[in-house]
Amino acid sequence: MMTQYELDDSGVVVIVGSGAGGGTLAHELTKRGIKVVLLEAGKHLTPDDFVNDEWGGYEMLSWLDKRTASGTWRAAKDHPLSPSWSCQVVGGTTSHWSACCYRFIEDEFRAKTLYGELPGTSLIDWPFTVADIEPYYELAEAKMGVTRTNGLPGLPANNNFKVMYAGAKALGLNVSTGRHAINSIPYDGRPATIQDGFTITGDKTGSRWSTLNVEIPRALATGKLELRPQSRVTFIEHDDAGKASAVVYVDAAGVTHRQKARAVVVAGNCVESSRLLLHSKSARFPDGLANGWGHVGRHYLRHIIQTVWSIFDKPVHMHRGEIMAGMIDDFVRHDPARGFAAGYYIEMNSMGLPTTAAFLEPGWWGRDFVSVIEQYRNMAGIFMSGEDMPQPGNRITLTDELDAFGVPVANIHYDDHPNDLKLRSHGYKTLSAIHAAAGAKRSIEAPSYPASHNLGSNRMAAKAEDGVLDANGRAWEVPNLFIADGSTFSTGGACNPTLTIVALAIRQADFMAKQMAAGEL
Amino acid sequence: MTDTAITAYKDPKMPPPVDLPEGPEWVGVLKVFDAHAAETLVTAAHTLYPHQTLPERVYRRTVFAFDALAAKLPAVAQGFAEFVDLVDGAMPVPFRDLSESYRVNTLKAIEATPAFRLVQRSTVRFLYDDLEVWQAFGYEGAAVQLGGYINRGFNDLDWLPEPPPGI
Ligand SMILES: Cc1cc2nc3c(=O)[nH]c(=O)nc-3n(C[C@H](O)[C@H](O)[C@H](O)COP(=O)(O)OP(=O)(O)OC[C@H]3O[C@@H](n4cnc5c(N)ncnc54)[C@H](O)[C@@H]3O)c2cc1C
Repeated sequence: MMTQYELDDSGVVVIVGSGAGGGTLAHELTKRGIKVVLLEAGKHLTPDDFVNDEWGGYEMLSWLDKRTASGTWRAAKDHPLSPSWSCQVVGGTTSHWSACCYRFIEDEFRAKTLYGELPGTSLIDWPFTVADIEPYYELAEAKMGVTRTNGLPGLPANNNFKVMYAGAKALGLNVSTGRHAINSIPYDGRPATIQDGFTITGDKTGSRWSTLNVEIPRALATGKLELRPQSRVTFIEHDDAGKASAVVYVDAAGVTHRQKARAVVVAGNCVESSRLLLHSKSARFPDGLANGWGHVGRHYLRHIIQTVWSIFDKPVHMHRGEIMAGMIDDFVRHDPARGFAAGYYIEMNSMGLPTTAAFLEPGWWGRDFVSVIEQYRNMAGIFMSGEDMPQPGNRITLTDELDAFGVPVANIHYDDHPNDLKLRSHGYKTLSAIHAAAGAKRSIEAPSYPASHNLGSNRMAAKAEDGVLDANGRAWEVPNLFIADGSTFSTGGACNPTLTIVALAIRQADFMAKQMAAGEL
Repeated sequence: MTDTAITAYKDPKMPPPVDLPEGPEWVGVLKVFDAHAAETLVTAAHTLYPHQTLPERVYRRTVFAFDALAAKLPAVAQGFAEFVDLVDGAMPVPFRDLSESYRVNTLKAIEATPAFRLVQRSTVRFLYDDLEVWQAFGYEGAAVQLGGYINRGFNDLDWLPEPPPGI
């Protein structure tokens, strides 16, 4: 029997969202004896529910509610109603992610200092250094079972990797299968991968870490967690002292409830977190909760993400095996000689025929497209994740249209910065060169798919006037309101963000527990 | 054309592929489209993605999926109807009777319309989600029920140098 808390129990920490940030924090707090109510908009699925089917999995797991998009980014044209990609299910997008796990490098915590004044950007340094987060990276890697840490071997080379390897070696690049929260050997009660290539539709075997299969069951086992799936939070209330006091949510039957709270943590995956704060307006916070400085929703980042798909003379069968098991780190460091700020990771990518066709170049049709997609079996994919520049105008705002819960639909505005475009072009050239060196007959530079790394829109800053949150992810203006997802990032860094989200959640749990023990929270 | 080196599988939990009648009477199974709308959409799907080796039935199944969507969502049904009107109004001959270059030009002229976008995106969505198309182009689909690819070729590419173990 799961522990249950009363709606008027003001001693519970309420967490909104059960993904990388919220699910991890729920475990870390309950492990420290703290009472937690975890509200999750999505259903609680089991591995048995998942399917090995790209569209079937997408429709089962994704956040499909309408959003709108504006700005120069391709998502506004290609995916105008779904510009950002995340999940609505217990486990959040960790039920779907492909589990690349890299750490920020030291330089990336001081982006402003290192990159200097770049017109149009709103760069800041992080309010802490790499030394502050390193111990938490270690804890995160251990709990997630990241390969090439804690004695765990790397994932084995698959077909798509062999292509990447051949090209990278020919160009003298540093290539490996990389680091993943996917078991290469059995670890922590979970099996080794069977290389089915379907982590992204739910992972039926559980070889990949997710909050659904690791953090939440363990949090429930402490007896301190109440998980309420299909609970959509629509508003955060505060008391006369300006402290968060309750959250309003709608359950599966459409009934509205109000859960009182000792502290509120929002972890809805960036867009939803900013949307919820912007919507939680009051006389004291007329522009939205914790938004006195106007930073909520601003400085939105989504990384420079793109894939090159190439055709070879012979079969690759890229869909066989773990989809992102390849990494090149020669371009990670900031190098002004390249003509732009910041860096990028090269990784592998593979997709099945359904989504390769959909993302190759949305809108492309005719005989040329047909001649490419017919050679699916001979296709390989290579991918990059690079740092984009924060700009105050790249932001999440509320539109006039209301969703089924009465909350305004979010718009995401994103204009590419000249630095972003330089990095993009450099990246495409590198990706294509690697495949060319492996013998590619033709390479297609596919545009970004909907934003999968959503960051920065409630950022941490050393000073209240520069961001929404302090160095512990706590709102400057609301002392018991925290954020635990990627929206806290001061700048984006180049690597996939989840390892850092998890490390920060563990760090935040430490901080919250100490504050509570000291009677300050 | 089929790729005899592989066998494509749909996840056993997904609905099985639909079996449409082979003759012109296939349109009888549709809920929303009449015969003309259905055949026009089949012609459009074929013009957009003219795979010479794929049989007509895969394009019909694509339009069958459009019809199911239209039956659920009236706005989508209206979009498909607009598309048929648009392409039929472009030339003095119905779209489905036009030669290929005229069909291509008709589609190019309406690329910016929501109706075109609906048909083009929906064709990609359903045509390449068809088991017979997977088999033809070398995509094997669901794998977990067969134990993944760990013992079924995840690393069988043999025309490039073998990376060192532990790379
Ligand atoms: C295709 C794809 C591949 C990816 N691969 C990688 C990778 O290889 N490596 C990597 O580091 N990252 C990867 N990511 C990104 C990774 O998934 C995210 O960074 C991470 O999951 C974000 O964690 P989060 O806690 O912010 O949000 P999520 O994990 O998305 O969790 C947010 C949760 O909050 C819930 N929620 C939102 N609003 C409300 C509300 N109002 N009320 C109740 N619940 C709410 C949502 O339903 C959701 O369950 C990938 C993402 C995608 C889309």
